[in-house]
Amino acid sequence: MTPRQTAPSAGAAQVQPLQTVGRNVPRIDAVERVTGRATYTRDVHLPGMLYARVLTSPHPHARIASIDVSRAAALPGVRAIISHTTHPDIVYGSGSIAGGAQYNDEAKDRTLHKRYMFGNPVRFVGEPVAAVAAVDRHVAEEALGLITVTYEELDFVLDVDEALEPGAPQIWPEGNIGLNGQNRPLPLGGRQGDPDAGFAAAAHVLEGRYTTAFNQDAQLEPRSALAHWEGDKLVLHTPTQGISNCRHDNAKDLGLEDHQVQVICQYMGGGFGDKNGSYYFDLIAAMLSKETGTPVLLELSRKEDWLGTHGRWSTVQDLRVGVSDDGTVTAIELRCRSGMGPFLRRSGSVSGIDAYACPNVDRQIFPVHTNRVVGGNFRAPSEPQGYFPIQSIMDDAAYRVGMDPVEFALKNMRRPTDQVRFTNYSMEECIRTGAELFDWSARWRPTPGSAQGPVKQGAGFSFMMFRSGVGPSSAILRVDATGRYTLFVGVTDVGPGAKTTMALIAAEALGVPLDRVDVVWGDTDRCPYSVGESGSRTTIMTGYAVVEAARGLQRQISERGMPRGDAVLIASATPNPSTQGRQRLCFGAHFVETEVDVELGHVRITKYVAVHESGRILNPLPARDQIRGAVMQGIGMALREDLLYDARNGQPLTAGYYGARHLTHLDAPRIEVTFIETDDGYGPFGAKTVGEAGIILGPSAVANAIFNSTGRRMHDLPITRSRLVQELA
Amino acid sequence: MAGSQRNEGSDELSRRGFLQGSGAALVAAGLAGPSSPAGAATEPSADQVASSAPRSSVRFTVNGAEQRLEVEDRWTLVEVLRDHLGLTGTKIGCERGECGACTVLVDGAPVYSCSTLAVWMEGRAVRTVEGLAQGGELSALQQAFIENNAPQCGFCTSGQLMASTALLARNPTPTADDVRSALVGNLCRCSNYNAIVEAVLAAAATARSAGGAE
Repeated sequence: MTPRQTAPSAGAAQVQPLQTVGRNVPRIDAVERVTGRATYTRDVHLPGMLYARVLTSPHPHARIASIDVSRAAALPGVRAIISHTTHPDIVYGSGSIAGGAQYNDEAKDRTLHKRYMFGNPVRFVGEPVAAVAAVDRHVAEEALGLITVTYEELDFVLDVDEALEPGAPQIWPEGNIGLNGQNRPLPLGGRQGDPDAGFAAAAHVLEGRYTTAFNQDAQLEPRSALAHWEGDKLVLHTPTQGISNCRHDNAKDLGLEDHQVQVICQYMGGGFGDKNGSYYFDLIAAMLSKETGTPVLLELSRKEDWLGTHGRWSTVQDLRVGVSDDGTVTAIELRCRSGMGPFLRRSGSVSGIDAYACPNVDRQIFPVHTNRVVGGNFRAPSEPQGYFPIQSIMDDAAYRVGMDPVEFALKNMRRPTDQVRFTNYSMEECIRTGAELFDWSARWRPTPGSAQGPVKQGAGFSFMMFRSGVGPSSAILRVDATGRYTLFVGVTDVGPGAKTTMALIAAEALGVPLDRVDVVWGDTDRCPYSVGESGSRTTIMTGYAVVEAARGLQRQISERGMPRGDAVLIASATPNPSTQGRQRLCFGAHFVETEVDVELGHVRITKYVAVHESGRILNPLPARDQIRGAVMQGIGMALREDLLYDARNGQPLTAGYYGARHLTHLDAPRIEVTFIETDDGYGPFGAKTVGEAGIILGPSAVANAIFNSTGRRMHDLPITRSRLVQELA
Repeated sequence: MAGSQRNEGSDELSRRGFLQGSGAALVAAGLAGPSSPAGAATEPSADQVASSAPRSSVRFTVNGAEQRLEVEDRWTLVEVLRDHLGLTGTKIGCERGECGACTVLVDGAPVYSCSTLAVWMEGRAVRTVEGLAQGGELSALQQAFIENNAPQCGFCTSGQLMASTALLARNPTPTADDVRSALVGNLCRCSNYNAIVEAVLAAAATARSAGGAE
């Protein structure tokens, strides 16, 4: 059982126990999940459907001189072959949205860096070049091998700093800096306070260069799309975190109205980010289906998925921090280059500095184009790679001024002020609770690397605050004469259990048992708009819409009584709540103990305590496991995952679970999770963000523990054995 | 590389292509008769590709029911289960023996069905996730997976269940380390590793207490 504390934090009421939410409830679709009956995209089989495969670029940067499909077309069973020559002008809008302006139709139209369904030139290994639909997947696969593509290879660049040098290969005519929504190559970030004065006043100035690697989302379900047309309406089964946004993006790219696209996704084999919209394979499947007049299932191989889709953007970050003798941070400067690949699908920003109260900050973050795979959103998109550098250098700063890092954090972290107000604040409580549960004072070594022998223990910690904002979403609730309630919500179920969560919220708000509520989900023709399961918004935003719909239905019932006969009552809600200028955040602190074998470079995590304030916890067991799983991914990011390239030929070398060295059962330490529960009066019953928050601190907390164990500061993720051995030699 | 398929300039070896070559070679060695698929173990030319793929008949049981099938030699077991027998509970995660989502039991032992040819199943007994519940009643493992929140997205769940079923059959009283070792070939990207191990241990404990009560 997960420990749960219900102490009131500043600004929040103590949580009052409720009827349904807050208790451990098995998922309402749990039986489907353990019997193989849950239907994922590739499990849908339509009569007569064709199988499609995509031919991808083997070159990091090349112009396609010609594509000869004659031999492939002659293969019996091949039904259609498409490429940029047959479909030159379909823009893959959400692949090139310019400046991270998510779902911004204007930006999609305006951007100079349009991405097409098939590009020419191709700009990364793995970019789609052509696609084949055939009677079965073997024939489609064979046909790919019979397509002859003549490439004119172009110079390529893999490194963000090399890409910014004069004379670097130009991936775009406008240069290699990502363009913002106005097509200007301006950095993200900005300047506040007086950083120069802050550094001048500092007794100590610390500097460091930190790098973080590309991490594939690597959800276990390889991406695919099953498309068919009913007249001029496209029906699309596709693994998406957001059916509503996926429908809109696909409709826009294909020149259709939203109502002409139906997107269906009920179960999805892992989300983790960047699937709240359309994908190029949706468009390709749709076009192949249109060409053939037949349903088409397009399947990506694991490697095509790894390279063709997206993962967390890599970064190179130069940090400078000024600290006074009493341990006050006086100035922070960040110069960051984010590796976005050739298309700016997402912002490339990094976060973490905001966790400090320091008033003098100068940040410049350049999204940079290279010929690597495209960077995108992965669970807390800008946070773990941002927190790793800032929390590493602050750890160093604490040692420099002779302070315990926990005390240093408590002194310098952001707190509510008259200018910056929060709906509630529990950062300090998270840190103090974690320190106590972890037994920080006993495990942390004032002198790093002081353990005797080759296997050295030490402890590190990190803390964070992360968005839990409110916003618009929709829900519809219906009740019939038998007293059964049907909830219509546009959620999919990517793993956290949104479907169950929505049912719990409805049952609580209606005051009825959970088993009286049926959920209709995952189909744009049957469900109203939902923000989609990204950005930690589903529980907060769609969940609150469920609460409002329930209130509306209760009003109707009290006015008109329960329906009789075949009559039903229906209520809908699209609330757009506001926190009146106050920030709504969740908070967390992680404490890690490591054992580092300084001869072999092996790191073992011997204790990991994660304390989170995520408002009211609606379903404790899945919430705990969202944190445990996210922590595990953070550890993978800290110690394992990378996508290595051969600098000579631009070939990716480690695409796949084995190559990227993902954690297995044997690598997974035990994670101890504690929630501090609060109710700030917003969201459904005070619920806040859970799923994304857990991944933010792994890299920094583990790196700080390794420093405390060894006395060596590791600046580059992942902290591999070879890097450790090199550093410790 | 015999029977492998390569895209120009790509280092990706197709799992099915590889199996097509090696599997066909095995079949040819085993049968050495007129039905052996001549030419399948060499790089196919365009003309050969255009010819129909070699087929074999195979007889095996799936969840206790006998299946007699005419399969293409290049079909993997997971393809036959999913596409031809409608048993879509077994998932394809990587199709190259890395992730374990496709784990099924063959004569009680866990195997990656993406890396197993259907023609190799002659005379074997295959068990999939659809065969775990008996008479509509979930197995102790399935029940424990529910109670311990072992599935998050659920895509690895079938494989985790099958590998765990094999473990408990040969070791009814595993330690946590035993479970981790037995499941090391089953990745979970939701990384719900703690809960999965807890579920398997809970199922073992349930079985023990049920056994004691009898």
